[in-house]
Amino acid sequence: MKKTIAIIVIIVVAISVVSAATKTTTPSTGTAQGSATYSAETAANYKYQTSSSNRMVTIGTKSVDFEAPVLVTSFGQSTDGSMIEQVMKRLKTVSYAYNPTATGADLDGVKTVVIAVGNSTKGLGAAGISQEQETARAKEFMAAVEKKGVKVILCHIGGATRRGSLSDAFADMVLPLSSYMVVKEDGNEDSKFTSYASAHSIPITLVYGSKDTVDAFRLIFN
Amino acid sequence: MKIRVLNIVVFIVALLFAVPASVDFLKMHKNEEIAENPNLTEVKMLSAYAPRLKGTDLDTEVYFFDSGVEGGTFLILGGTHPNESAGMLSAVALIENIEVTEGRVIIIPRTNNSGFTHTSPLDGMQDFFTLTLSDGSERSFRVGNRLTNPVDQWPDVNYYEGTSGRTIYGTENPEVRNVNRLYYGTEDGVLTEQVCYGIYNLINEEGVDLTMDTHEGSPEFLYLDCTMVNMKRDNTKAMSIASDMALSMNFDDLDMRVEYSGVTSYGLSHRSLGDNTDSMMTLMETYNPSMGPLHGKMDDDLIINGNEPNYYEAHKDGYIYFQVPEDGYPLIERVARHIACIEYLSEAYSWEYPEKAISFTGLGDYYTIVEGGFEELLKPIV
Repeated sequence: MKKTIAIIVIIVVAISVVSAATKTTTPSTGTAQGSATYSAETAANYKYQTSSSNRMVTIGTKSVDFEAPVLVTSFGQSTDGSMIEQVMKRLKTVSYAYNPTATGADLDGVKTVVIAVGNSTKGLGAAGISQEQETARAKEFMAAVEKKGVKVILCHIGGATRRGSLSDAFADMVLPLSSYMVVKEDGNEDSKFTSYASAHSIPITLVYGSKDTVDAFRLIFN
Repeated sequence: MKIRVLNIVVFIVALLFAVPASVDFLKMHKNEEIAENPNLTEVKMLSAYAPRLKGTDLDTEVYFFDSGVEGGTFLILGGTHPNESAGMLSAVALIENIEVTEGRVIIIPRTNNSGFTHTSPLDGMQDFFTLTLSDGSERSFRVGNRLTNPVDQWPDVNYYEGTSGRTIYGTENPEVRNVNRLYYGTEDGVLTEQVCYGIYNLINEEGVDLTMDTHEGSPEFLYLDCTMVNMKRDNTKAMSIASDMALSMNFDDLDMRVEYSGVTSYGLSHRSLGDNTDSMMTLMETYNPSMGPLHGKMDDDLIINGNEPNYYEAHKDGYIYFQVPEDGYPLIERVARHIACIEYLSEAYSWEYPEKAISFTGLGDYYTIVEGGFEELLKPIV
């Protein structure tokens, strides 16, 4: 009897040790410390330029004038597009339209487009469109933007939680035609946007919080 | 003779257990008083919109504040999940303090009235928590449970299909007692679903334009300090209004995200009432560490000060997405956040639809509420 109990105890202890040794310590996805496209270590090593007391940092000089009318749209259907719409509303002086599912046909007369990049499955669901349809729309839209010579401002204000592979794919579609970037800095913890801006001499404004986006756009539209 | 004595002893012992249990049971069925507000125009029962609720523990008070000035109608739901205390207290604070100057505000502080009559004993929950007011008096509130008391609705059926098409079965069975899974409801449904039906009818009959369902979530939840919004496909204004609210809160240095209602979130208020009524539907969540499985000792300190070091450590280790504050997230800050969200939402709605403006005063901004604490926010009961 004692032998049996001893064997059971040994088995239980062995299982516990093996279980503890193999237990993963990987943070759950979507942590603020890192996203699907970069590691938590990369994020930890990133040196922030903005802070609660220095809320906006612009790198580079604006070389083009952005004129109204402005079209605000979303690539990925996150709520960031709607936030940018509210930012434009608060500027009060800039004529704008917001169309989260705009196509090339909506560009007639438009001088500047502001594209909020950030994928949201909930947003796509609410809009009733698939990722494939959204990607196709984005491609068609950027082709029309290039053809019509409309100026582009890339906006990423969703922070780390809006840095997934599809969000990045949308950003990569916009970056080559961008003349300016506005990025909430916790979405740049792998320096994706600042590196691209530096390599292609595109001015970028990093903001600390969503509200600072209003000041960033005031700067852009004088 | 011996048997007779034994019978008496057994009876007395049974009474020793039964009497305190009965007292406790009845105590849990006594609704907390809400202080009088001279601006209150009417109190109805939800059974006015769902007659079968009359006489049941799920019937609940509906408070009306009518400015007499033409405008929109704002419905605020508190206590959908009673253990999410900030939601219920926000509703109570609004009832005791507001003066509506445009349109109407309708408030239900205990949406699941039955849920307040029990707790989750196996989670180490306590029955009440107590707040001290400015005159030194105290007010106690029940902690409650997110589900209807099984005394009122039992058994949990093996399979249930709600009006929204949501099916509840398997390990999800107890959710058949969850108000926020059974919208938009039917009068023939289980009692909990009849509450949903009452609210659905109220929205339709009173012409509610805007609804906020106040909630809290355990720290593991991904949508804390976040407002869910139902965006009807032909109308992007709902998200514009919510984004305006979020930006206004950001200007007050308060984090607030907005997110679309999930396509498959059937049965939840923001999804199913949004889909089936004309009201713009929103639902907001704040962080509540007493709801999570990692919480330590359950006491007033945890409920009122919201400080659970286990969650701070879990966040630091990368297991909790929410930015858990080291010093906790006190109940007063969560209540103030709910109220600020409601204030900014009505402001944004009124801006978008000036002909349906909804305005009210009486509570001040987030920082005023936090500074004054519950001492100033809640009125003494006289």
